[in-house]
Amino acid sequence: MLKNFCKSTPFLLIGLVLVMTNLANKQTPRFEANTLRINLGCEPPSLDWAKATDAASFDVVSNIMIGLTSYANDLSCRPACAESWQILDHGKHYIFHLRPNIRWSDGKPLTAYDFQYAWRRLLDPKTAAPYAFFLYDIENAFAYNQGKLKDANELGIRAINESTFEVRLSRPIAYFLYLTAFCPTYPQRQDIIERYSNNWTDPGHLVCNGPFILTKWQHEYKIELTANPSYYAAKPSLKTIKMFMIPEQSTAFALYENNQLDFIDNRSLPTSEIDRYRKSGCNEYRDIALLRVSYLGFNIEKKPFDNVKVRRALSLAIDRERVCRILRHGEKPIANLIPPPLLGHSDFSTEQSYNPKLARNLLAQAGYPEGKNFPQTFLLYPHREDTRLLVEVMQDELKRNLNIHVDLLNQEWQVYLQTLRNNTPPIYRYAWGADYPDPDTFMNLFTSHNGNNNTHWSNKTYDQLVSLAGCEANPVKRATLYKQADYLLCKQDVPIIPVNTAAQNMLIKPWVHGIIPNALDLQFFSSVGIGD
Amino acid sequence: MSKLIIKRILIMLPLLWLIATLTFFLLRVLPGGPFDAEKNLPPEIIANLKAKYHMDRTLPEQYYIYLQRVVKGDLGISYKYLDRSVNDILASALPVSLTLGIAALFLAIIIGVPLGIVAATKKGTAIDAMCIICSTLGVSLPSFVIGALLIFVFGIWLKLLPVALWESAWHVILPAFTLASGPTAYLARLTRSSVIDALSKDWVRTAQIKGEPYLQTVINHALRNALIPIITVLGPLSAILITGSFVVETIYAIPGMGRFFITAVSNRDYDLVIGTTLIFALLLIIANTIVDILYHILDPRITISD
Amino acid sequence: MMKNRTYLAKIAGCIIFILCLIAILSSFGFPFTPYAFDQTSEHILEAPSAQHLFGTDELGRDLLTRIIYGSQLSISIGFLTALIASIVGITYGAIAGFAGDRIDTFMMRGIDLFYALPDLLIMILVGIIIGRGTLGILLALGLVSWMGTARLVRAQFLTLKNEEFIEAARACGASSWTIITRHLLPNALSPVIVSLTFIIPSAILAESTLSFIGLGLSPPACSWGTLASEGWRALRTEPHLILWPSLFIFMVVLSFNLLGDTLADTMDPKTRV
Repeated sequence: MLKNFCKSTPFLLIGLVLVMTNLANKQTPRFEANTLRINLGCEPPSLDWAKATDAASFDVVSNIMIGLTSYANDLSCRPACAESWQILDHGKHYIFHLRPNIRWSDGKPLTAYDFQYAWRRLLDPKTAAPYAFFLYDIENAFAYNQGKLKDANELGIRAINESTFEVRLSRPIAYFLYLTAFCPTYPQRQDIIERYSNNWTDPGHLVCNGPFILTKWQHEYKIELTANPSYYAAKPSLKTIKMFMIPEQSTAFALYENNQLDFIDNRSLPTSEIDRYRKSGCNEYRDIALLRVSYLGFNIEKKPFDNVKVRRALSLAIDRERVCRILRHGEKPIANLIPPPLLGHSDFSTEQSYNPKLARNLLAQAGYPEGKNFPQTFLLYPHREDTRLLVEVMQDELKRNLNIHVDLLNQEWQVYLQTLRNNTPPIYRYAWGADYPDPDTFMNLFTSHNGNNNTHWSNKTYDQLVSLAGCEANPVKRATLYKQADYLLCKQDVPIIPVNTAAQNMLIKPWVHGIIPNALDLQFFSSVGIGD
Repeated sequence: MSKLIIKRILIMLPLLWLIATLTFFLLRVLPGGPFDAEKNLPPEIIANLKAKYHMDRTLPEQYYIYLQRVVKGDLGISYKYLDRSVNDILASALPVSLTLGIAALFLAIIIGVPLGIVAATKKGTAIDAMCIICSTLGVSLPSFVIGALLIFVFGIWLKLLPVALWESAWHVILPAFTLASGPTAYLARLTRSSVIDALSKDWVRTAQIKGEPYLQTVINHALRNALIPIITVLGPLSAILITGSFVVETIYAIPGMGRFFITAVSNRDYDLVIGTTLIFALLLIIANTIVDILYHILDPRITISD
Repeated sequence: MMKNRTYLAKIAGCIIFILCLIAILSSFGFPFTPYAFDQTSEHILEAPSAQHLFGTDELGRDLLTRIIYGSQLSISIGFLTALIASIVGITYGAIAGFAGDRIDTFMMRGIDLFYALPDLLIMILVGIIIGRGTLGILLALGLVSWMGTARLVRAQFLTLKNEEFIEAARACGASSWTIITRHLLPNALSPVIVSLTFIIPSAILAESTLSFIGLGLSPPACSWGTLASEGWRALRTEPHLILWPSLFIFMVVLSFNLLGDTLADTMDPKTRV
């Protein structure tokens, strides 16, 4: 019996291969009609937009919901749920007038009370919403979120009637409108949330008002959205969006090559493939600079970086253009914190930001000629694919240009965050992505009391400039103020060394039309179409 | 038999309790917590979050709360996947991992055992060497390299099998092969040595002298006796499958449990990690118990200690 | 009859010997390539050429040089893990086996606990707590690989303990220590040595898996595992990045396995696996 089996094995194998080849050659179509297949990269931690904080969740929410305003392609705010608005009291009082014809996906009309409920819920300490602090500039919001104020009616949030929503701010922040286009401020339905409590985001329960509705959610695997028939604006031409959760880049990329994904971005692109596509001049490839800056930070209380000359020397010793060449993700060099095209950004020039000779001089003045006697120090970075290369180049640049050796210390992400906050290392690598397209999201970081300022750097002039600029209504004056602050931060005191801005790299199949990327990396698919 | 099972359960319970306790405290020793994020949240918000998940209590209190819940069969809630319970998450991921694991075990048996038998019957020849090298190939490369190679050859180059995802039976083939690569080698090697051992026994020789065909002898006598060590090894094999599942599930985008070991630990999703560990430990213990029972059925002479 | 097998084992032994020699020589600064002391150049991601035999990596470093340096860590991680596993395993197993009864049962429960905890979890936790140096990795790998050895030694001890020559030694008034070290251990060692030849390759592989997960060695230190996990995504564009490190892993792991097989066959037929 065994002998027969052994003899027939080759035939069996050949037969099996033939069968499989047959199956495979059954010409699978290149795309599914009216279906867009993309990769989210990971499971969205929450589809409750009051609690979500991450890109994967926002990618889903921004396609099923619209807020008071929404982003136009150039990232300006355009009317969405709100038809128009009035800004009163020098920018401290907003009145939004809602469109009359907007309905939720279950047919109920959208009212100002849905906004009132959503914003109050966002600020309610019991919700424990991570992004509640975006509304802290609303009257009494801070005290309410801390639990010191119990009465929600004292908040500067009020539905005047079904179609009018009023917000009062405690200071006239210039970027407030952007917050109304931000996922956590989208309206919510009290009846739905109360009825289903924790399960309200399940397909079938979730009620939304955007171009698509959630129809399927296979956890850790796939989310399916379908067109929302009761959407108020032009109906999307897509019938279905399939959002897979493929953690491994090269796997997602292979799926794209095999026509099983229609659109992929950084989450699905191994570095070497980006390079290959870019060089091949293939028209499937596109990239866009993002509002995300990666920088090295100093702990300015640790020797030798308490000396401003040392910090300036290091900043001048890094050839940012070489760094970007090695990173190969379409990064752009930057020597200031505010990235283009935001208001107040400063143009990048190599001469001003890379000057090894001056750097050596400064280092010598600080007492370390030719890097002699430079104390042992280290650079802390988290384990993530792109950071490894970045810090390895940094180490090399500092060695070549200043003859100083910096050790590299790598920590697991969560440990790294903890170390950064409790015991800031001499140098660390960090990156910051914009939450809204306004310089404030970057400049606010290094004010004295910001929880994300790990440098221990505190400068009264800087704080003042940023706070003034935040409430300045005139864009030209704002830009000047931000430029001053940026100069102080990146050229004069140098608690951080901005290195590069990130870029989004995309591959789009030729049959996908209408994908318009934006610098905030929000992906909207309502205007996307499929077809040859 | 039932005595054995009862005994096993009696040992299992304190073992599971120990595992839960150990993992609970080890995880809290790790620096960083579930609410640390790239964008540091204001202390007021962190306070709200901690209060919501009882993390403002002392450690013993938290442990007490956790144990109370686990006793009721509730493995807790996830801090990362908001509003989802660990039971819920594991219930959807466990069947996937089990399917994959059983498929891989099946592959390992149908490839590894024949390879081992052939090697044993041709002991000392070039065929023996070939069989051993073939089966060892699978354990000679890291599984992520094997996975990448299989995807490249069968998914992209030949376009025979799906590259990844978890849709049909075809989608199981590549991941199962990747996962089976290690256990196959293990089984082949073990089968070979136990068949050689059995073939040298007197009663096998007797059968041969009596004129029984060689292959029949191998199957009837040698293999049967060789089954015992092979079955013994199924227990540790399940452990290998579990450890391997992370890499395979990540590479092939399979929604199984293995990936929680890494993602949940790095998210400091405490309850999810403990839950996953408990389920895996339970699976291992069950696998070992089944092995013992099989053992007992195959050879009633063997008495089972503990 | 065993010719073919021993032939294979000899080749395997030679490969291991040569790789170990390379690792040792390079750690004493023997320059195998012109790039031994110059790790960076402007030639980024070049395919293998006469100048760079194995090509270069993303930072323009010569891959051959990196692999030679990687051999130091990979091979020493393999051997040291085996050393840790055998020290812990032998001690644990010897105590359990020699003491027997309650202590034995209790200690076996401890092993059960370690078996029931997934290896991966132990490695991750240790990796995070200790950090990503060589020490952390050794501890992580050692912690998950001692149980097999412990069980082997215990089983050997349990059977040997009642043999006549031990009784004789005891009758002569030998202390427990003498009995363990002089009589029991030497007789129990051969299966342990065989099992070591399997621990080494699996440690080398486990190290590469750790790198894949992101808990491997911290750069610029490199091992074959980190090289492979850095290069495997470029399988289609820069195949040399994954080809060479995997080839070396493959050679050494295969060699150890073949060697182990032959050792198991020849040393003592009773103690296979």
